[in-house]
Amino acid sequence: MIDPKGLTAVAGIGYRQYKRGTAPLPERGVLVQVIVDACDDAGFDPALIDGFVSYGDDKNEPVRLMPDLGMKQLNWSAQVWGGGGGGVAGAFGLASAAILTGQAKAVIVFRALTEGNSGRLSAAVMAHHLNDHMVAAGTVAPAQICAMRAQRLFEHHGVPQSVCEELVRASYHHGKRNPDAVAYGRDFDLEAARTARWIAEPFRLFDCSRENDGAGAMLVVSSELARDLRKIPVKLLSVAQGAQKGWGDLLENDDDDLYPTAGFGAIRERLYAQAGLTPADIDVVQLYENFSAQGVASLIDHGFCTYENVADVVRFENLIANGGKLPVNTSGGNFAHGFVHGIGCAVEAVRVLRGESANPVPGAQTCLLAGGPGSPTISSAIFGLN
Amino acid sequence: MGATGYHPATGAIGAEGRYWDALIEGHLELPRCRGCGTWHWPAVWRCGTCGSWDHGWIECPLVGSVFSYTRTHHHFAGTEGLPSPFVSVLVLLSEAPIRLIGVLEGDEHDLRIGASVTGRIDRTRFGEASIPALRWSLTR
Repeated sequence: MIDPKGLTAVAGIGYRQYKRGTAPLPERGVLVQVIVDACDDAGFDPALIDGFVSYGDDKNEPVRLMPDLGMKQLNWSAQVWGGGGGGVAGAFGLASAAILTGQAKAVIVFRALTEGNSGRLSAAVMAHHLNDHMVAAGTVAPAQICAMRAQRLFEHHGVPQSVCEELVRASYHHGKRNPDAVAYGRDFDLEAARTARWIAEPFRLFDCSRENDGAGAMLVVSSELARDLRKIPVKLLSVAQGAQKGWGDLLENDDDDLYPTAGFGAIRERLYAQAGLTPADIDVVQLYENFSAQGVASLIDHGFCTYENVADVVRFENLIANGGKLPVNTSGGNFAHGFVHGIGCAVEAVRVLRGESANPVPGAQTCLLAGGPGSPTISSAIFGLN
Repeated sequence: MGATGYHPATGAIGAEGRYWDALIEGHLELPRCRGCGTWHWPAVWRCGTCGSWDHGWIECPLVGSVFSYTRTHHHFAGTEGLPSPFVSVLVLLSEAPIRLIGVLEGDEHDLRIGASVTGRIDRTRFGEASIPALRWSLTR
């Protein structure tokens, strides 16, 4: 068996984001742009791409990209199952698996989403899961399902709801300083957030991620090939996807102890063991947060804190790039940078390790990418420079 | 098991056909493996515990306790048939290790995790469809 640690790397990134409903081109056009951007970033000819991986029910079948990219050969196309963002990190595992087994040489991991083509993301995600049981109870949106789990996390498991505010504030702190972020240049109005309209209790508006038009693409190649390309290779140190018994699309019948979690207990040990790292070795986290409580639950799942000490760790000062011990979402994340189904979190994982983040983490060697929390099939990855 | 006259408004029906037919007949039935006694919800075709394909549908009273809940304020498409705001409750049944989701009706004053509830069968309007639905009330 191959020890995959560090054998593949991200060599190029491309990301374009627009206000929802305002992409200048239809979805596939924006996608082609970011793929070419990623290749330009790496100094790599798009015609030499031979594989694609996506997640979250992306609708852009790779073969249709071949004419625009000038590709001669498609050797690999795959997608992680699931309607939510649970597969974003696992997508890198599929790309890496193809490369390490000689089935492809240059694989693009992508996600593209424009409202004009794919409609509202929240509706698409829920359509993947919707059934008459849920509709009969009026639970038709991800926010409501996550809200019920959050309520249990706070009321039954004793996690203080105030930690959610700390995570949101840190995200907007980073977003304010990122010229590409929707929150760029804006002061976060804490009082306005505290009194913003309810979506589904305990979530108010600012507990919820945004939706943006846009696309992201990342070129994955062998670390050997990446060394010859333009940018510093950001290596894939480990990646894991999956679920455990008692979790996942069970009509809210997940096991008692799993119900309030984000589902990452299933992969935590595999993820760290493959990288030979522990949570203490992680320098920065890109945390997919669909909703504030699920972001916090993900940090708990990944071993950064517990129900008991979460308030000591998930503090604004501890989460920001400038001085925090656990910098989280240095671009602003899904809350304050923007949300193209979480591909922006993966892009930022590479940027921050290259030293290209708007909120740099000096000396960062490792970055954990936590995929969509609460998804039936979840995934995470650890990227590193060595 | 699973053969049903029920036509779902969304998605595909799985192994839970009898659940819908029983609700339409006015009572709650849930599946239990005849091989090993394990309750399964969502319903399964095959018991992953003992391998049996034989499940009995057991009538259960609409009595339980609140496992969690949310009060929805945003007007999500598909909730037009419900008042606004409305409370969805996830109820752990008293007589089976199964949680069912429904809408809370009546007084919401003592709503909390662990609160006792009783239920009744109603319908939720969804577009042109009228879906058999559970309504729960806090026990006085």
